[in-house]
Amino acid sequence: MRFVGRTSHVCDVYYGRSIRKAEKLIQVRPCGERDRSNRMKNEGETTERPDNTAFTQQRLPAWQPILSAGIIIPGFLLIGLAFIGIGVGLFLTSQTIQVLERDYTGIAKDSPCFSCTIPNTPNCTCEITFALSELFKGPIFFYYGLSNYYQNFRKYGVSKDYNQLTGDTQYFKSPDNFCFPFDYDSKKNPIVPCGAIANSMFNDTFELYQIINGTKKQVPLDGKGISWWTDYNLKYRNPVLVDGSFAKAFNGTVKPINWPKPAYELDLTDQNNNGFLNQDFLVWMRRSALPDFRKLYRRITEGDYSGGLPAGNYSLTVHYNYPVMSFDGKKKVVFSNVSWMGGKNDFLGIAYLVVGSLCVVMSVVMLIVYAKFKFSDDDV
Amino acid sequence: MAGSKTERGVSWEVRANGRHFHQSCRRKSVLCFRWGRYADNVVRSYKYTPLTFLPLNLYEQFQRAANLFFLLIVVLQCVPIIATIPWYSTMLPLLLVLLVRGFKDLATDVGRRRSDAQINHRPCDILTPEGFETVKWKDVRVGDILRIHKDKVIPADLLLLCSTEPHSLCYVETADIDGETNLKFRQALNVTHAELNGDSAKQNLGSFDGIVWCEEPNGNLHSFKGELHWKGERHLLDTDHLLLRGTVLRNTDTAYGLAIYTGSDSKILQNCGRLKLKKTRVEILLNKTVLVILLFMVTTTLLLAVGAGLFEYRVSHQYDVVSVLQRDSSPGYLGFLSFWGYIILLSPSMPMSLYITFEVIHMVHCFLIGRDLEMYWEDNDSPAQARTTTLNEELGQVGHLLSDKTGTLTQNRLLFRQCFIAGHIYGDMAGEFKPPDLSWNRFSCGGTKFSDQRLVDKLRERSSPECQEFFTALALCHTVMSEWRDGLPHYQAASPDEEALVCAARELGWVFLSRTRETLTISEMGLTRNYQLLAILDFTSKRRRMSVLVRDPGGQLKLYCKGADMVVLERLQGNWLLQESTERALELFAQGCLRTLCVAVRSVPETLWTEWSRALSQAGTATGNQDTALEDIYEQMEKDLTLLGVTAIEDRLQEGVPETIASLRRAGVKVWVLTGDKTETAVNVGYACKLMDPDTILIEGEELRQLLESPSPDVRLMSKEKEVWTTRAEKSKAALVISGPELAELTKTPEWGAKFVALSDQCQSVLCCRVTPAQKAEVVEMVRTHSTSITMAIGDGANDVNMIKTAHIGVGLCGVEGSQAVQNADFALAQFSFLRRLLLVHGHWSYYRVCILLRYFLYKTTAFALVHIWYSFYNGFSAQPMYESWFISLYSTMYTSLPIQCTGFFEQSIRLH
Repeated sequence: MRFVGRTSHVCDVYYGRSIRKAEKLIQVRPCGERDRSNRMKNEGETTERPDNTAFTQQRLPAWQPILSAGIIIPGFLLIGLAFIGIGVGLFLTSQTIQVLERDYTGIAKDSPCFSCTIPNTPNCTCEITFALSELFKGPIFFYYGLSNYYQNFRKYGVSKDYNQLTGDTQYFKSPDNFCFPFDYDSKKNPIVPCGAIANSMFNDTFELYQIINGTKKQVPLDGKGISWWTDYNLKYRNPVLVDGSFAKAFNGTVKPINWPKPAYELDLTDQNNNGFLNQDFLVWMRRSALPDFRKLYRRITEGDYSGGLPAGNYSLTVHYNYPVMSFDGKKKVVFSNVSWMGGKNDFLGIAYLVVGSLCVVMSVVMLIVYAKFKFSDDDV
Repeated sequence: MAGSKTERGVSWEVRANGRHFHQSCRRKSVLCFRWGRYADNVVRSYKYTPLTFLPLNLYEQFQRAANLFFLLIVVLQCVPIIATIPWYSTMLPLLLVLLVRGFKDLATDVGRRRSDAQINHRPCDILTPEGFETVKWKDVRVGDILRIHKDKVIPADLLLLCSTEPHSLCYVETADIDGETNLKFRQALNVTHAELNGDSAKQNLGSFDGIVWCEEPNGNLHSFKGELHWKGERHLLDTDHLLLRGTVLRNTDTAYGLAIYTGSDSKILQNCGRLKLKKTRVEILLNKTVLVILLFMVTTTLLLAVGAGLFEYRVSHQYDVVSVLQRDSSPGYLGFLSFWGYIILLSPSMPMSLYITFEVIHMVHCFLIGRDLEMYWEDNDSPAQARTTTLNEELGQVGHLLSDKTGTLTQNRLLFRQCFIAGHIYGDMAGEFKPPDLSWNRFSCGGTKFSDQRLVDKLRERSSPECQEFFTALALCHTVMSEWRDGLPHYQAASPDEEALVCAARELGWVFLSRTRETLTISEMGLTRNYQLLAILDFTSKRRRMSVLVRDPGGQLKLYCKGADMVVLERLQGNWLLQESTERALELFAQGCLRTLCVAVRSVPETLWTEWSRALSQAGTATGNQDTALEDIYEQMEKDLTLLGVTAIEDRLQEGVPETIASLRRAGVKVWVLTGDKTETAVNVGYACKLMDPDTILIEGEELRQLLESPSPDVRLMSKEKEVWTTRAEKSKAALVISGPELAELTKTPEWGAKFVALSDQCQSVLCCRVTPAQKAEVVEMVRTHSTSITMAIGDGANDVNMIKTAHIGVGLCGVEGSQAVQNADFALAQFSFLRRLLLVHGHWSYYRVCILLRYFLYKTTAFALVHIWYSFYNGFSAQPMYESWFISLYSTMYTSLPIQCTGFFEQSIRLH
């Protein structure tokens, strides 16, 4: 009945069906009688009756919450109270976390590192002292921080060669084009590791001393395991030793221009911390997302200081190498301990408190509105 | 000769038994080049071949702007300096979209191929020098002579040469072509019948060497012009000699035909137009939204690029580390690069998968509509059908429902209930129906609901010549075919009115027995009489009447005419008797919701007939405006009529119509009824189906004109309105009633349309009576242009096709009047009452779901873009992506597309109740 017609516009599709249908009619049709339906039913032949399933009849189980005042008002109250509880917990925890920050850029003339900001002062060291009035509880994390530093600049970000960093010596001779202009030095020697990120690696170093009765007692700093597990174990690989020598694997390449020593000499004392697997190198290569950032430098977990830094005077010796003055950058060191919620973060607790109190206030408002209009509503 | 043939428009040459001749200019094609003249009989509805699938499909897909845009992005990503995200994060989603779409196209095409193959491999018999041989449809060539058996589908457009029936008549069923279920007869030329038929048909046909010249292949199913040149003579051919491909041979043992048009040249395949896609409002909105997103993106990118240039200019040179990377380029150039970099970076925020998601959701909704048990009508085994897959959410926004009356609101199962003959009304509407005793009539089959012993007595006693003449007219004036089964005639009629009338005449003793092309045989109270059939003046919706011209056994020429009262009454002889009582009867019938037809007769003098028949045959062969010429000639014959009587047929309301209309009205849908029926009938149906409340006031005729004529503009209209409302009643209780002629005037002046629609918004409903199909479409068009709401037209017959096509959404009811409405509709239903579920359930859900989908897409798009814009301020506008590249590619294809798709399928804002 519903197929080809004089004015039909879809018969290129339906034509086939129409003829098949016609044939079907021939088989069963006694002769021209209009009432085809009864015949179809009687023959029990292909009926077009839709299946009665939950899907086709759109009766799939569903949950339709009816948001009545009886649910919403206590619901809001409960959620508000829960949020306030969480917020208080977070805020108090955050308060217990101790943070010590010291800027050592040396912009001010009277700051200890001012002398090091003068260009071309090699091996400049300066000393920053600070006093702790109470125990700084351990384990303590020791960060260096940079600000106004665009490690997230896209071209800076792509300026490295993953193939080199996975230890594939094939690419040592031909660094990726993305590394330009840090792919070859002026004598066309390939740079390993190439690229802007590696070249700009942070190279200030620090030593921490506790001053006890005028004598300096060095605080041991732990540099193990400060990088991402995946970086150290999967993403970065050192090249295979050539003739038993690590340095020979780097034959024919030069160190990045800004580096004082080649990659294979980053830590001569510990082969597991050398080359591309050097923890400081890995920490630097993991770019920060924002232009003000801090990166983990060391942990204080060992020896007399495993329980933290006791009250007293301390001195931090900075080997000042990294220039930041040209772009108004700042350098700082940060000591911090952590809790179950991570580092110090007052905002999270405050946010919970605000949202929680808003919920409580709303529930009270709704209760008032409900109490006022409930009866007229119920009548309807 | 050739020149004159071209002039006559017959340039298509077919030589019977001339396989070699036609073989030499077979149509062939390679890629898009075609040559040759005659198509073979292979149906190729598929679009792709293995070779062309990839290029063709890709070409089609990249015509979509979104796909092209992403292709551009992929190309851009090949430039390393601006490739902010790796190539795969755009390539993968694009590939996914292309694959899904391509796979869908492929599946459809394979389906088409399969059905093509099935058709092409049907068997048929063609004549070869060795006799008839069974071959496949696809091997039929132009010029072949085919043998068609009873109940077989005809494989190509054939010229009927002869058949086993007398006069080489044969009957075909064209249900698959125009949806009409009645049999139509075709007759061979007398000359071919005489020469080719007989016992040695095979030899005769084998030596048949006529040449057919006819028009070039075209899609006009109801006209054919050609001539047969045979034995030095020229015979004119018309559509009566043609058996169309796709029709079924009935009631005829065997017919022989000459293939004229095959395959893609055949009329039915020529008829296949392209699918016209209707765009929904939401889709238009969506396109706009995408454009806005694109603009937003480009603007932002431009600003960010400026930022990048500034950063370069002001800040970057301080950083050795960064500035060295820029290779000494100027800030302007770097800004330019940064622009493209940001275009790539922000490209995932373009809703690429939106279109495909949209399409999939539409398809699922259509599937669910088709599988809805509550819209399945057991009586004719038809579920609802969504023929257009893009309109679902429009269903939820319908503001005006324009409905046909007959067959849509009513059942169109017609019963002869009353008649008016010579001043008397017979038949009783009120009271219990007692079946009359018709045992005297051996042809009675029962099934009528007419009982009036007075009339039966009068007929049996033959005491009333008017009554006899009336029923003779009913038994003669129709196009019904009869078929004998169990000794009883069964009728097949093009329209249910005719069937009801012929059946009624049969029950009362005037039995239509059979017809040939030239005779009609009826039994008048057991007395069999042969009438010679001279002409049938067809029914058209424009003429609204039909007539037959017969020579009765006494040799008298008579024209019997039946038609709508308006047209028949104005063609009566002047000063006819009983005018008053007739009009009263008509009114009475209309009040009872009955459909009326007037029956009239005219004695035709022999001279008039000869003159007229000459004019007719001239018009038949005339070129150009054949239809209007015929109409003029018919007009000449159908005048000076004498009224025999009026028939009244009952058409019951469909189940659930009042409830449906009531709930639609409650949902704010304006229901208009457009009908060809009389005003009174329409109004009564309007009351019956709760379109209007019992106390609704009708505004019609002069009053309506006054309202509309108030000399504009709107302010005056409003004040005038108020006047009327205040003087009459409160305003919601009014309905407009307008008739066809009034409407014709109304549509002449453009500003009235707006007023009318504005006025109608204040009313409960609008009834348009006595409107022609073209006017129905005009009304729909008027509502479309003058109101912002979505219009929906619903109808069941060929006369509703216009309006169904004009409305935003067309709904066809698979009723008794053939399938034309359904074929042109966007949705097909079995019952009017299913409209409630279609509009208020499926439509509402669809609308809701699609809106959720759209909003979500906007949200996720902006969420993605804003994060990167914000981040740009922290990374020196360097187009650094915030996320990992795999996350970006999966973001648009999986994370933000699959969950919302499920919501799009299943979300129900309100459960059913």
